[in-house]
Amino acid sequence: MTIYAAIFYVLAGVILVATGMAITRRNLVHSIVYLIISFFGSAMLYYLFGAPLLAALEIIIYAGAIMVLFLFIIMMLRVDPSSLRRPDLKQWLPASALGLIYVAIAILVVTQDPGSRTMLEMALTKPRVFGEFLFQKYWLPIEIVSFLLLIALVGALYLGKAFARDAREREEAEK
Amino acid sequence: MTWSLFIPELYFMLMIGVFFCLAMVLRPNPKRDFFIALLLSTLGVVVCLASVKLEGTLFYNVYRVDLFSQVFKVILAIGFFLVICICSELTGIGERYHPEFYLLLTTCTLAMMLLVSSVELLTIYMALELSSYCLYLLVPLRRGYGVHVESGIKYFLVGAFTSAVMLFGIASLYGVVHTTYVGEIIRVLPGVIGRPAAVIGLLLTLCGFLFKLAVFPFHIWAPDAYQGAANQVTAYIATASKVAAVAILTRMVALSSGSSTYLVHVLVTLSIASMTLGNLVAIVQKDMKRLLAYSSISHAGYVLIGIVSMTQSGYAGAIFYAVAYLMMKFTCFLVVVKVAYDGSDLKIAQLAGLHRRSPMLAMALMLGVFGLAGIPPTIGFTGKFLVFVAAMKKGYFTLVLIAMINVVISLYYYLQVVRAAYLLESDASLPPMKVSIPTKLLVGTLVTAILVLGVFPQYLLELTRAAASALM
Repeated sequence: MTIYAAIFYVLAGVILVATGMAITRRNLVHSIVYLIISFFGSAMLYYLFGAPLLAALEIIIYAGAIMVLFLFIIMMLRVDPSSLRRPDLKQWLPASALGLIYVAIAILVVTQDPGSRTMLEMALTKPRVFGEFLFQKYWLPIEIVSFLLLIALVGALYLGKAFARDAREREEAEK
Repeated sequence: MTWSLFIPELYFMLMIGVFFCLAMVLRPNPKRDFFIALLLSTLGVVVCLASVKLEGTLFYNVYRVDLFSQVFKVILAIGFFLVICICSELTGIGERYHPEFYLLLTTCTLAMMLLVSSVELLTIYMALELSSYCLYLLVPLRRGYGVHVESGIKYFLVGAFTSAVMLFGIASLYGVVHTTYVGEIIRVLPGVIGRPAAVIGLLLTLCGFLFKLAVFPFHIWAPDAYQGAANQVTAYIATASKVAAVAILTRMVALSSGSSTYLVHVLVTLSIASMTLGNLVAIVQKDMKRLLAYSSISHAGYVLIGIVSMTQSGYAGAIFYAVAYLMMKFTCFLVVVKVAYDGSDLKIAQLAGLHRRSPMLAMALMLGVFGLAGIPPTIGFTGKFLVFVAAMKKGYFTLVLIAMINVVISLYYYLQVVRAAYLLESDASLPPMKVSIPTKLLVGTLVTAILVLGVFPQYLLELTRAAASALM
């Protein structure tokens, strides 16, 4: 076993364990921290496969931006962990039945069909080349994204204010 | 790169900047905001009209300026201008938020202008998202917070879901044709349309636009959003945003060059489902805006008849129909805004005695509603006629027959509105309505346009034909 293979298996193990922990924790903040660990693991996997840009994006976007957003939301909503009840049989039975079908089909596909191996075309590129391509050929969509972010900002400000106003009015009405 | 091609969009960006600065000013001043918006939007129409003859491509071919896009930009600018015209008493929205209202409205118009010119899937998707997000925010911007946030969230959730579906479709389409440029897809796609991934990809991509047009099964947001939004916002969603949806849907369906019978079958089914459902549910509505929402669902079905013909006359008919629809729907909304002057939702029963309170508005409402019903000599009749003829030429007899039956059904609820305005007397003797001179002028222009373009559609028809030929 080469050193790379060893690294791969260790990373894969960490990702599996961290994701498993993330979906079983009752405290939402703990699950998110485990999820971030899992994302870091996937990022390192990407790096191992020779895709440094994808690795960077995984960390910047998933582990960075989205998870921080999740944390913010959880902190703002202040959900009481004990109030989250465990899903009962009626809820998880259909879900696990459907999941089992998937697992069965996956096993069938892997074992029954030896011709399912197809070589995918390698698309290797340096982050710099990718960035130049994106920002040159696609700069109009990227400018549109900047407008979209502006609108999202305006909307978040307005809706946030509206919620605050609503809460204040409700408090006054209760008095 | 020639920047002059991009002038209408640059002008609207400038306008966004102006409203952005106005939103920073602490002291609210609705009169000032309204006059600035009116002035700027009038200039916007002029700018778009001046650039109608431009042609060329921009930004590494992702953006094409041609007659098709420029005609739609003019229509969008006119729609925007018309909606601004009825914002003089913007009672549905808090005074503090008027600049934000204009900011979002302008950004939405800009996004739709970008949408009609984009010829690359990623750009199309981003422009569509930008216009949708502006509308998601405009709906809960209404004063009297509570129920409007609910309709805003409904609108947002349905929209987010369809845009995810659309992205999936784009990815699948890309997987088959290996390009995101519309010009190349149109060359490659007819050869591979037999492959399931291609036709399903195209169909799922269309979902995003069908959502904008409120076609069955993406119509669920329409009644709630129409009712929940402020009257002026509803007018905008019902007119300008529908025009943009027709434009982009036409461009995307033109991609297949009519080579997939499967696509035709699906679109025909959706068309029949939306017009039948829209018309049948509209019959029981009591709220004017909900009624107009269901009527717009049924009209989406009629427009699809033109698009599904996949011929140049069908596309021209769809564009003509979109223009006609904009005028007629706007006339109805103008009356709604004026009668519900306090910004409340208008019940159909509240129209009672309108012919006595304001004969002019009652006449405008009657013409608008007759136009929507497709009664000659209004522009609505001409639009339906063109669309139906295009479908008949392709041999879709059953489709046209079902549409005809639907037109008859729709007469019932359209006449209900006219009956309320003309035959019912209100219990409380409401005072006559004061209609200002600019409003009278606007109503007069709209009524004349609806009638004159209905009788002499030649010039507009030539224009839509020329625009449609840019697609093929």
